[in-house]
Amino acid sequence: METLHQILSPDFLLRNSIYISVLVGLSCPLVGVFLVMRRLVFMGVALPQISSTGVAIALSLPLWLGFKLTEHGSHSVHSLAFAGSMTFSLTAILVLAFLERRGRGQPEGRLGTAYVVSAALSILLLSKNPYGEIGWLDMLKGEIITISNFDLVLTAATLMLVLGTLGLFHKELLLVSFDRDMAITLRKKVVFWDVLLYLLIGLTVSVAVLSVGPLITFGFLLIPALTAHLLAHNVRQFTVLASVIGGIVAFLGFYIAYQWDLPVGPTDVVILGVLYAAVWIVTGLIPRGLSKLT
Amino acid sequence: MNKSLITLDNLGIGYNGQPVMSGISISIESGSFTAILGANGSGKSTLLRTILGLLPPVSGYINTSLSGTPLVFGYVPQSIMLDSVYLLTGFDVALMGVYGRVRAGRFLPKAERAFTRECLRATGAEEFAGKPFAELSGGQKQRVLIARALTTRPDVLVLDEPTAGIDRETTHTVLEFISEINKERKITVLLVTHDFAAVRHYAEQVIWLHEGNVFHGPARELLTTERMAEIFETGVY
Repeated sequence: METLHQILSPDFLLRNSIYISVLVGLSCPLVGVFLVMRRLVFMGVALPQISSTGVAIALSLPLWLGFKLTEHGSHSVHSLAFAGSMTFSLTAILVLAFLERRGRGQPEGRLGTAYVVSAALSILLLSKNPYGEIGWLDMLKGEIITISNFDLVLTAATLMLVLGTLGLFHKELLLVSFDRDMAITLRKKVVFWDVLLYLLIGLTVSVAVLSVGPLITFGFLLIPALTAHLLAHNVRQFTVLASVIGGIVAFLGFYIAYQWDLPVGPTDVVILGVLYAAVWIVTGLIPRGLSKLT
Repeated sequence: MNKSLITLDNLGIGYNGQPVMSGISISIESGSFTAILGANGSGKSTLLRTILGLLPPVSGYINTSLSGTPLVFGYVPQSIMLDSVYLLTGFDVALMGVYGRVRAGRFLPKAERAFTRECLRATGAEEFAGKPFAELSGGQKQRVLIARALTTRPDVLVLDEPTAGIDRETTHTVLEFISEINKERKITVLLVTHDFAAVRHYAEQVIWLHEGNVFHGPARELLTTERMAEIFETGVY
């Protein structure tokens, strides 16, 4: 109880970390539901990793070009990392979605390769980069410790933009995802809506990766949505429930990590995994139990 | 004589610029019930998708506008094409038909929701419209999808294999119902099927695709036993 009071106190030293954790927990599942509905779960795995490679390349650029970035210029470092993350996320999602539509080769193979190569590349790049030693490598592992006010405001503003756009155009995005042919016969601009959805996914992934790292981003993108899918009866319930699960687990994970001195990211992901398994077992048993009674 | 609603002039259809069939010249009249018939792989779905604008014509010309205004198609796809991972109720699916009239970013007006309920009632789908679409039977799904097509306020009701995967009795119920819509609401019906026997009692006009040839004419003339045997054996018109 004391820990809870401490965490909720406005003077709490790591308050930005918990705010950002809950923000990511609430918002990532909202784009995650579209990845689940479009059966792009593997893309949800690969994208955060590709995005983090974008960060690594962006942070290596000054080194390759002979410039020197200081810790005082953390805003410019952050902007550079954001640009790299965003460029890689968007390029990857558009290329992978295009290849998916073309139907050539094995999508799982492409996504698996993209994941593993980008993971290896980001580790290689950051291990040879001095900026990797001042916190970026930790961030890519999922350590949410030093979140500046600037990071918090940027993340909150971007995620609000994503949420607002998703809410405003939910019916168009749902129609284009569910029945593309119907959308074309209704003269909807399907390519525009597809690109907008990918843009929102890319933006969310980029911001989340920069804030909390690829591991947590992947966890919050997919596991709350997969869990909610087992419980919900309609799209509205599915979306709200996924977001609520993400938000609660983000807070709970932070609480447990703080209490037992654990890294926040892996704690969040393990809780999400345990919850998913529990819901999967319970929802599998209940209908069987009920059918025995009747 | 009814006016021509859809005109195909020397049309070539296919994928990625590769023709599957060419030289199709047909007119579909307003208020008619036309069946596109053919075996699997004959090109009937390709023709339907080209008429709907889902595929570009490989060659020739297609007109699907009336006095310069594009026709509204009430499209009924095969229900198997719709992914069950989407947690949509029958009502949610039917409601999508009104999206064409509601601008992006706007809320759906109450009147459109009421109209959707009216269409579900008209198709006898109201009582199961609250259930998950994925859990409905084949016949129930067809009724919901037809209701969705009606909510578009269509000029043409376009159905892709509406009787696929449903039993004989339900097939006749569905076709009877489509025929009623055609007669009572004066909506032009264009239906794709490989089920010659089921559709012969309902369709007025037939477009029959057979081994690269297109046979077009009244169903009562084209679907006689003698004429069908002749086409199957010699492939001549």
